[in-house]
Amino acid sequence: MTTFLTYTALGLVLGAVYAIAASGLVLTYNTSGIFNFAHGAQAMIGAFTYYQLDVAWDLPAGVALVVVLGVLGPAMGWIQHALIMRGLRDTEQITRIVVTVAIMLGLVALAQWLWDPQEARIPGMLFGVDRTVTVLGVVLRYHEVLCLVIAVALAVGLRVLFNRSRLGVLMRATVDDPDLLSLAGHDPDRVSARAWMLGSTLAVLAGVLITPVIGGPLEANALTLLVVDAFAAALFGRLKSIPLTFLGAIVLGLMNSYLVAYAPSEWTWVGNLRQSLAMIVLFAILILLRHERLRGTATRSRERYEVPTVRRAVVWGGVFVLAVLAFRQIIDPSSVGVLQLGIAFAVIALSQTLLTGYAGELNLAPLAFSAIATLVAFHAGIQGEGLDARMSVGGLVAGVVAAAVTGAIVAVPALRLRGLYLALATLAFGVFVSSMILRDIQEHTLFGKTFAIFPNGNLLFPRLAIGPVDLADDDVFLMVTAVLFAVLGVGLVALRNSGYGRRLAAMKDSPAASAMLGQRLLRLKLTVFALSTAIAGLGGILMSMGLRSVTKEHFVFTMSLSLVMLAVIGGIGYVSGALFGGLIAGAGLTAIVTLLSDTATEHPQFEESLGLVSHIILVGAGLAGIGIAQNPSGILHDVFAAQRRLAKAPEIRYGALAVQCVLYALAWFDVLGTGTFVLLSLVLWLSLPSIGAALRPEKVSGGSARPVPPELIGIDSDYPPGLADRLDEQLGVNALRDRRGVSHAGA
Amino acid sequence: MPVLETQGVSVRFGGNVALRDVSLTIEPGRVTGLIGPNGAGKTTMFNCVTGMQTVASGRVVFDGRDITGLGPGGRARLGMARTFQRLELFLSLSVRDNIRVAGDIVRANTRHRIDVEAETDRVLELAGLADIAGENVAEIPTGRARVVEVARALMTRPKLLLLDEPASGQTEQESERFADLLRELAADGIAVCLVEHDLPLVMSLCSTIHVLDHGTLIASGTAAEVQRSPEVIAAYIGTEAVA
Repeated sequence: MTTFLTYTALGLVLGAVYAIAASGLVLTYNTSGIFNFAHGAQAMIGAFTYYQLDVAWDLPAGVALVVVLGVLGPAMGWIQHALIMRGLRDTEQITRIVVTVAIMLGLVALAQWLWDPQEARIPGMLFGVDRTVTVLGVVLRYHEVLCLVIAVALAVGLRVLFNRSRLGVLMRATVDDPDLLSLAGHDPDRVSARAWMLGSTLAVLAGVLITPVIGGPLEANALTLLVVDAFAAALFGRLKSIPLTFLGAIVLGLMNSYLVAYAPSEWTWVGNLRQSLAMIVLFAILILLRHERLRGTATRSRERYEVPTVRRAVVWGGVFVLAVLAFRQIIDPSSVGVLQLGIAFAVIALSQTLLTGYAGELNLAPLAFSAIATLVAFHAGIQGEGLDARMSVGGLVAGVVAAAVTGAIVAVPALRLRGLYLALATLAFGVFVSSMILRDIQEHTLFGKTFAIFPNGNLLFPRLAIGPVDLADDDVFLMVTAVLFAVLGVGLVALRNSGYGRRLAAMKDSPAASAMLGQRLLRLKLTVFALSTAIAGLGGILMSMGLRSVTKEHFVFTMSLSLVMLAVIGGIGYVSGALFGGLIAGAGLTAIVTLLSDTATEHPQFEESLGLVSHIILVGAGLAGIGIAQNPSGILHDVFAAQRRLAKAPEIRYGALAVQCVLYALAWFDVLGTGTFVLLSLVLWLSLPSIGAALRPEKVSGGSARPVPPELIGIDSDYPPGLADRLDEQLGVNALRDRRGVSHAGA
Repeated sequence: MPVLETQGVSVRFGGNVALRDVSLTIEPGRVTGLIGPNGAGKTTMFNCVTGMQTVASGRVVFDGRDITGLGPGGRARLGMARTFQRLELFLSLSVRDNIRVAGDIVRANTRHRIDVEAETDRVLELAGLADIAGENVAEIPTGRARVVEVARALMTRPKLLLLDEPASGQTEQESERFADLLRELAADGIAVCLVEHDLPLVMSLCSTIHVLDHGTLIASGTAAEVQRSPEVIAAYIGTEAVA
């Protein structure tokens, strides 16, 4: 009995912390319409900062708490709101998600820079472990009691805030109609800034409280995933109701606690199951949630994508393959693998072009499907042993099909709901794959078979052999990957130009109108989701074959998020955006960091500053996604638009091509290093529109072709003295005032 | 036989009764009008017919078949099409592709192959949109955008075409041309039904008019009959006095 009560109490404490985190999430979502994926990362920063102040710098706990809760929490929320969230009006869901994901990745990179992940930091409980109270035979530490007290106070406080206080009513109004709110003389921006500050502070509070409750050291990734637990709890209240969110949090906390208490000890996978509990609960709720009513929503978002013709796509596909071939000749043989990895990532990113760019649906864990395909291919398709082992075509096909089927299964519960739910369901699936499937590394017996899903945590993944064609050779494999990317890219453009592609675009633009034309929305979403996860699966197998040896780190959810983010930065509506995202995620960052660390080894005196630069690049890459708010169509959209201005001056392009050939020749004879060659080529083509405008001003139109209409610029005029009186006169205000005897001063 | 029949349809939003026991019919080959003061329940009635609103009680019969439990997509596949009061165009597609995609959807749903290209050209011509076929639909004026929605609906070869305030945002010339188009469609045997605020347009265009007020059907008949109805006069004069 005491055991039961003890675990119940511990579950309630954990639930209380979840509730604190979840209510912050609900608060910001409901006042801004933006789901904050960085919520857990903010909690993480809060926890680490508190540790730094309290333990490392030995400040009193009270001072440390005041600093993190009174300064850090509100400041993070305010900066988030002021710098970023205001720019997100009239953007698509993916843009909003990517911005908060970018903050999350940036904060994780920042934490790993500031706080060395190798070092274990075990935060103590507030008030220490010795001060306890005993209720019904259950011993509770003050820290745990405090969690419960804060949660109860918060539940009451938020209820009063939303229902009784002026600010709470304004916050609710901000969601319903910000324009109406500003017409009524309020500033929706200020209201929403306060909500962000409060939400961020609640995240920090949860972060400080949770690690001592769970036990163990501070861990950046695990704390960042607090957002998934908070989200699962918030889903109980459909992301709206605070009381139901609290209920959800308590249920999660109790389930977690009872699992530890009562699961049989031979269930070794329970430890993994605990980490996936939130995601399992989340799926269960998604299945139970009611179908949303179809409503007209066609609003014009700021994202714009041009659709190329198939012929154009074929030409560019050919150019791409030739460029890879030419580039291969001037790079070091040891870099071939990195380049291949970049293109394999680009194939994975293509799944996003189809799913998000064309169909407007979301998948935040493409690499989880790559992992599924890799595992199935590994178990089903290897022929031969040792060095002669080869992947069979059958294994490849099985892997791709498995990814497609898994995609369909994951998507079914969420497809009936809005895009955000799909994003969260896929993220949760990604976490599930990382924390359960890829951790199943020890052999165990199930249904009379002894196996491990991810043997020893390291798969030796052989290359494909089709009859006489053996891809064991790196050069051959690189070119096969490049050709595959080109073929898939052209295929996607052809698909977009087909009836199926138009139906996807129609569904993305207006689901209501699509349905009223007879479109079966669920079926269409399901096919496109399965198709896109099949592509992610194929890319994953290409990646694994390239690496030859894969661990779970290759499929980690932060990598998925980086890839999605980089594809959006490039331009999620474009095949070239996928190429951009894949090359940077798979090859670019590796190349830069390797270059820096090589230089550091050669010149030890610069080691410190080079390490700093490499950290700044990693944090910067994470934060780069924030800029997407300013330019939601992606940077390639602007690059294409600029290049089109040269259409009437082909001689400029021929000239640039000639310069490019010279650069290539210089690189060929090792006058230029590979890095310099890439940099100069980029500068050449990116600055070409400006060069063209300078050389041929009469042919190259500058800037945008369309004049901006005056109503968008707006015309300001002075408000001369006496105008107010004249207006009053004409509106008859004076007469009214005289009649009612209201004094002028009152106005 | 009417193409659409509602039998005692009622809808409640919480405690408010939006529609009370509404029974009306829409005949093929005619233009039917649904009018009433603001808040009379016209759009709710429209949503009940198209399946975007579930009814609390009553039945909706389309083409001799009870479709009360059917969703919007299912009704569309049976031959019902609608336009939207707040335009719902596919903003990333051109005018032509907005219309063509409706054909793509029909082709994906049915076994027999239809020639989407030729059908698109025919509808563009019929609706008088051929001159702007290549333009981005986000950049055309509202009046013509409403015609694009009708043209898009026509691609599904509907038996019943429901138009939600089609004339708002149109110039006088545009709405005259629009009225001609609707007459032509009715002459082809389509049942056309519109919710509209422009009373002169409704009176001149519609052969049958249903009048709703406070969720209740207060009159049905020809323009002349409806105009003589004391309830209708009371409903309209009552609201105008307030306005």
